Amino acid sequence: MHDAVSLEKAGVPTVAVMTSAFEDAAALMARVCGLPGYGFAIVGHPISSAKDEELADKARQALVQAERLLLG
Amino acid sequence: MYVLDPTAETNPEPVSRAPRLDSLHHRRIGLLSNGKASVAPLFDHLESLLRQEWKAREVLRVTKGNYSAPAEPDLIRALARCHLIFTGVGD
Amino acid sequence: MVSSTTLLSTRYEIEDERAAQDFFHEKGWTDGLPVIAPTPERVLSCLDEAGLAPDQVIGIEPVRARPITAEKAAVNAVLAGCQPSHFPVVAAILEAMCRPEFLLHGATASTGGCAVFVVVNGPVRLTLGMEPTFNVLGNSDRASAVIGRAVRLALRNVLDLRPGELDRSALGHPGKFGYCMAEDEEGSDWTPLAQLRGAPAGVSAVTVLAAGSPRQIMNEWTRVPEEILDTFAAEMRANMLHYSIWGGNYAIVVPKQLRDRLQDAGWTKQHVQQFLFERARVKKSDWARVGKRALVTVTNGDEEHAALPSPADLLVIAAGGPAGGFGAIIPPWFGHKSRAVTTGVGVCFAC
Repeated sequence: MHDAVSLEKAGVPTVAVMTSAFEDAAALMARVCGLPGYGFAIVGHPISSAKDEELADKARQALVQAERLLLG
Repeated sequence: MYVLDPTAETNPEPVSRAPRLDSLHHRRIGLLSNGKASVAPLFDHLESLLRQEWKAREVLRVTKGNYSAPAEPDLIRALARCHLIFTGVGD
Repeated sequence: MVSSTTLLSTRYEIEDERAAQDFFHEKGWTDGLPVIAPTPERVLSCLDEAGLAPDQVIGIEPVRARPITAEKAAVNAVLAGCQPSHFPVVAAILEAMCRPEFLLHGATASTGGCAVFVVVNGPVRLTLGMEPTFNVLGNSDRASAVIGRAVRLALRNVLDLRPGELDRSALGHPGKFGYCMAEDEEGSDWTPLAQLRGAPAGVSAVTVLAAGSPRQIMNEWTRVPEEILDTFAAEMRANMLHYSIWGGNYAIVVPKQLRDRLQDAGWTKQHVQQFLFERARVKKSDWARVGKRALVTVTNGDEEHAALPSPADLLVIAAGGPAGGFGAIIPPWFGHKSRAVTTGVGVCFAC
């Protein structure tokens, strides 16, 4: 989340991808970094043991959410 | 009696998001991986989708050196030339 | 003398110490144990003892650029039960933790659940009545207890590292209540830890390490140093296989019975460091024996990993009760991502 905020500050719209287990930590981190309410993409947890087709599905989920987060 | 607040009581400097985009197509896109093993295959799928569906002009894949620390300033600078970026994955 | 009007923290009016318990618990500002109400007078006494102005910045957590002021450190020290005499040690610990190489945010927010292990050296141990023998890793004395607790309360309150919020520890361990000890310099011929790490002799210092919980070993059936240390090495190898293979700062605590064996044979801390540097190693293929076959490939099985990147990365600590062939291994949070830091109490080594 810290990296996403740094990139937003650098002028580039960014989609931070988090797993569902990290949703509230990510929201808190965004707030403490100065961007309360900052939207990010959430995919199912965990990814470390996910099968390839599950990862493909998560990539799709991230893409769909990114559309909403990036467009003005 | 009076007691003192033990918390930091500082408010972070407010930050503004970068301006949003009017189009997602034909963009230079950065993918910043935190370096954990499972991010690469997920980002491989994401890259395919970005090229096929968003007609990405370029996809820049970078990985930071330490997933527990912020990305190195050089990486941030390199990514700043992108139109949009994905970072991941917080797990 | 600093006055009450120079303290900047918000003040809350409460009825008495008893009301303070509920107040701090309801706010989420305590670890569940009773607290000492941080009144302006008590906080000022700590600041006077350490010679610090309230707004002096002890350290800045680098990731969020969050300063820890002397005032906020003192409020949490009082809350934890510290007397003014304990506060300079608390300030030194927090300062050490804010050094970039400690990676404070990463270490304390991680799912890995480490705690901040603290070793105190020098005259301050005696002044504060720190007890480096019986129960040294448990509940040895007041100073160790309240200093260790002050560190955790400061992390919770000043840096928002509350469980389930920024602190994502899956398990954590009891060191998160407090993980502070003194080295038994008087009971050992060995060079004190801080001095081996660069502190001038005879100066009070603290060493901090982002660490897992202690693992206890026992070997009272030999006088041979290599055999004694082989047991320590085995526990380090076990940690590498069962938890994390990455090398970093391990600490070992060597109580008197085993320490006497090593010292009688002329082994210094450096001998111990060299031996464990050489012996505490595993191969990736060893993972297959412990349920981690998925990580072993045809190409990486022969890769050797050392627990210690260099001999000096082992923190050897003389401490513990006099009887029993026991020892302890304290592993790093995660390899060398966070490095141990040593700093002076009330004195700057680098200046």
